[in-house]
Amino acid sequence: MLRHVYEVRHNANHITYMVYWPIVNIVVWGFFTLYLRHGDRLQPSVISSLLGAVILWGLFNAFQRDMAVGFLEELWSRNLVSLFGSPLSVTEYVTGLIIITFAKAMVGLIVESLIAWLFYHYNIFPMLLTLIPFILNLALFALTVGIVISGLIFRYTTKFQAMAWSFAGILMPLSCVFYPLSSLPRFMRPMASILPTTHSFEGMREAVVSGGFSNLDFSWGLGLNLIYLIFGILFFRSMFEAARSRGLLVKME
Amino acid sequence: MARHQNQTREAVGVLASLSKYDDTMLVTVECLTKHYGKFKAVDNVSFAVPAGEIAGLVGPNGAGKTTIIHVMLGLISPTAGSVRLFGESLDTNREQILQRLNFASPYMAFPGRLTVLENLTVFAKIYNICEPRTKIIRLLQRFGIGRLKDTPISRLSSGETTRVGLCKAFLNNPELLLLDEPTAYLDPQAGLQVREILLELQRSYGTTILYTSHNMPEVQRMCNRIIFLNRGKVIANGTPIELTRKILQEDRSTPALDEVFIRIAERLPDEALSN
Repeated sequence: MLRHVYEVRHNANHITYMVYWPIVNIVVWGFFTLYLRHGDRLQPSVISSLLGAVILWGLFNAFQRDMAVGFLEELWSRNLVSLFGSPLSVTEYVTGLIIITFAKAMVGLIVESLIAWLFYHYNIFPMLLTLIPFILNLALFALTVGIVISGLIFRYTTKFQAMAWSFAGILMPLSCVFYPLSSLPRFMRPMASILPTTHSFEGMREAVVSGGFSNLDFSWGLGLNLIYLIFGILFFRSMFEAARSRGLLVKME
Repeated sequence: MARHQNQTREAVGVLASLSKYDDTMLVTVECLTKHYGKFKAVDNVSFAVPAGEIAGLVGPNGAGKTTIIHVMLGLISPTAGSVRLFGESLDTNREQILQRLNFASPYMAFPGRLTVLENLTVFAKIYNICEPRTKIIRLLQRFGIGRLKDTPISRLSSGETTRVGLCKAFLNNPELLLLDEPTAYLDPQAGLQVREILLELQRSYGTTILYTSHNMPEVQRMCNRIIFLNRGKVIANGTPIELTRKILQEDRSTPALDEVFIRIAERLPDEALSN
C-alpha cells in the first residue's frame, strides 16, 4: 500500500485519473442534463437517474481500471522480481492494491457527487444509504474484473494491457447504465441479466425514481458477484502459476 | 540406456552424499530440473551449501545459474526436483523462508519515480524492519550512496541502482544471501568496495552467500566453494584449488579459475566430472 501512496504522490497521472476525469465526466453530463431540464424536455426523475448513472459508472470504471493499472505499474517498473521474491504474499499484494484502489475510486465518487450537487442541483447524498449496497456490488464486480485482467497480464504480459482501460467499455452497452433493462432488444436481455452491473443500475434507478430499495436487484447482483469473484480468484491463481511455470515473472516488460 | 543409468547413478550418489549434511545445510537443491518446452534450462542439478559458506554458482551464459536462483526465490516453479532452504520446503513455508533471506539481481528494478529512501522503506515494511529509516541511512552510507537518499531511482546510474539493490538485500540482516552478478554494473573501485563489504558482513554475521558471477578473479577471492554449471548441468563442485587441479589436470599451487572456466565452457554438458 505504501508503495502506491508514494506513487500517487509522485505521479500526476494518478491525480488525473482520480480527480480530473471524474470532473470532466460530470461537467459534460451535467450540462447535458441542464439542457434536458430546459423546457421540460424530460422528467426530473429521468435526469436524476442519468446523473446517478454517470457517478456510479465513473466509480466502476475507475475501480477496475486502477486495479489493473496499479499492477501494470509494477510490471513497467520491473518491480515484480523484488516484490514476489520477498516475503510479501500475492494475497497481501492484491489486498493492498484493492484498498488503495477503493480509496482512489471513492475520491472520484465524492468529487463527482459534490460537483453534481453544487452546480447541477443533483444531491445524491440523501440517497446514499440506499445506494451503498449497489455501490458495493459495483465495486465487487470491478474488483473481479481487475483481478481477471491482472491475471491475463501475468500470463500474457503487456499484450493485454489495453484491457485495463477498455474492458469497462465492453461491458457498458449490456450493463444498462443509462437505460432500463426492458429497453434492450429481447435477445440481449439474458446476457445483460447475468452482469452484476445491470442489477446495480436497475437498483439505482429504482432508488432514484421511487426512493425504494430493490431487494431483488441487490440479491441478484450479490449472488452473481460471489460466483464471478470465486471464478476470478481461481482464474488469477491459475494464470499466476502458469506465469511462474513459464518463468514470466522474471521476464515481464 | 547406459547414459541414463549413469545419470541416475550420479544423481543417487550426489543425494546420498547430501543426506549426510541435511541438518547442517542451509541450502539443499535436489535433482532440480526446469524445462521450457524442449529446452532444459536446469537439468537434474543437486548441490548443498552449509551455513556460513560463500558458494559460487558459476558458468557461461545460459548455464542455468539465474534460473536456479529464481527457483530458490519461488519466482519460477521447477519442472521436477526440490529446493530446501533452512531445512524447509519453499512450497509450504514460502513467507517464513523468504523472511530469513534476501537477494540482489540485475533482473530486478525499482519504481523509478520513488526516491531511494521511499523504495527501501517499502521493502523495510515488507521485511518488518524496526526503525527502518535509521537502518536504511546506515546501509546507504555503508555502500557509499548516502547522498542519494532523496533522489528518484530513475535518475541513478546503473552502478548506483545496483548498490540500492544491495542495500535492499541487507535490510533484514539475512541469514542467506542470493547474489546474482552483484558487481556486474559496478566500476572496478565500486566492485572492490562491494566485495569488501560483503566479506566483512559475512565475517561479522556468518551470512551464507550463494554468489553468481562471470568475473573469475572475483569468484576466486570471494568463494570457499564453487559449483560449475554448463547447459543446465553441474559439471564440477569443489574449492577453487580442487577444481583447478581436477579440471586442468595439473598439480597447480594456486587456483586458476579463468582457465577452468574456459575449459569447462568448451566441454560438452555430458562430460560431468564426479564431485
